[in-house]
Amino acid sequence: MNSTNRGANRAVILLAGLLLLVVGLAGLAVGALPTVRSGFTDQAPGVLGTVTDALKATPLAGTGHSWLWIAAAAVAAVFIVLFVVFIARQGRGHTRELLAQTPTEHGRTVVDGSVAEQLLQDALSSRPELVGSHVSTYAVKGTSVLKVSVSCRRGVSPADAKDLVEEQLLALDALLGTSVPALIQVSGGFRVRTAGATRLA
Amino acid sequence: MSTTSLYRRLNRRETHSPLSGLAIVLAVIAILVLAYLGVESVLRLLGAAPLLAAPATLAQGVTDAPSHPAWTLIAGGIVVALVGLILVITAFSGARRARHTLTSERSATVIDNEVIASALARHAARAANISPDNTSVTVTHRTAVVHVTPASGSTVDRAAVTGAVDEQLAAYALQPAIRSRVVIDSNGKVGA
Repeated sequence: MNSTNRGANRAVILLAGLLLLVVGLAGLAVGALPTVRSGFTDQAPGVLGTVTDALKATPLAGTGHSWLWIAAAAVAAVFIVLFVVFIARQGRGHTRELLAQTPTEHGRTVVDGSVAEQLLQDALSSRPELVGSHVSTYAVKGTSVLKVSVSCRRGVSPADAKDLVEEQLLALDALLGTSVPALIQVSGGFRVRTAGATRLA
Repeated sequence: MSTTSLYRRLNRRETHSPLSGLAIVLAVIAILVLAYLGVESVLRLLGAAPLLAAPATLAQGVTDAPSHPAWTLIAGGIVVALVGLILVITAFSGARRARHTLTSERSATVIDNEVIASALARHAARAANISPDNTSVTVTHRTAVVHVTPASGSTVDRAAVTGAVDEQLAAYALQPAIRSRVVIDSNGKVGA
């Protein structure tokens, strides 16, 4: 429902997994295989020396330390910003606007999401089949979509729950004069388990 | 976007986990590691004392890895590689949620398996003529297992229970469809 970039989530998990896998296998190889171990012992100081030489060859005027340290810190900062943006991008997608008509010569009509949210929630709150309901509006691919989450009492048929929400949606359609796509989420949960069953046909 | 393809998209997204929790945890760890390395780089540049270890000491530590006993490298390597493997598998997994969908002309509906189970339990209990508390139903992706504990001394009509459960499942028309299996306990329970 929200606009979380799921591909990015999986990419981050995959990259972290591959990194750990490579490091782990390298550690395992150095520990378990004598040839890899001796190869590592031979090569590692050389690599370290190359890096040290590079640092010595790039002094920053005045300080005598290498400017590569600034570059390293800058690269780290860029990646930190990228990860912060990645975290902040999770779970967005709410919208306030339910309907927005193209402007006419008399003006433009905008229907706020809270209109539908309050109408539906009010209509659903009196139903004995439901323990609770929550309505929110999301923008999915440029379309406003209503999300109606209801928790049913124990034993209520999910098809009945769907039908009773859909009935209210059709009433809303009649009121608005247009149909807004909707997602109905029928859930159980803690409140349902404690609320007990009612007598239902 | 037509409503059919919109509903298909919504159904797919609602029945699969976005893996946000895991991705956020990994991103936070990455941020902490990068922040630490960045701070050490800047301290090195300013010639100040390192927080924990200077970059040169860290690099030397990696170079000296073979000086540790072989078993620590092997054990550590296995643990790290396993965590990495689990993450790689998770990244390619379906990450499916315990939900079914039901789509009509007007709306897309996602239903928790828990709700389906509780509705089936009520109908099975009525068909078996026992209390709903003595039926337990487990709903998975493609099957519903209905476990019935009869009242001691009475028998349960298996065909009636199966019929009631199947009738309900047919009425719900869930995606993916669920097949039922009814298990009747051989030992009854007093007062069931």
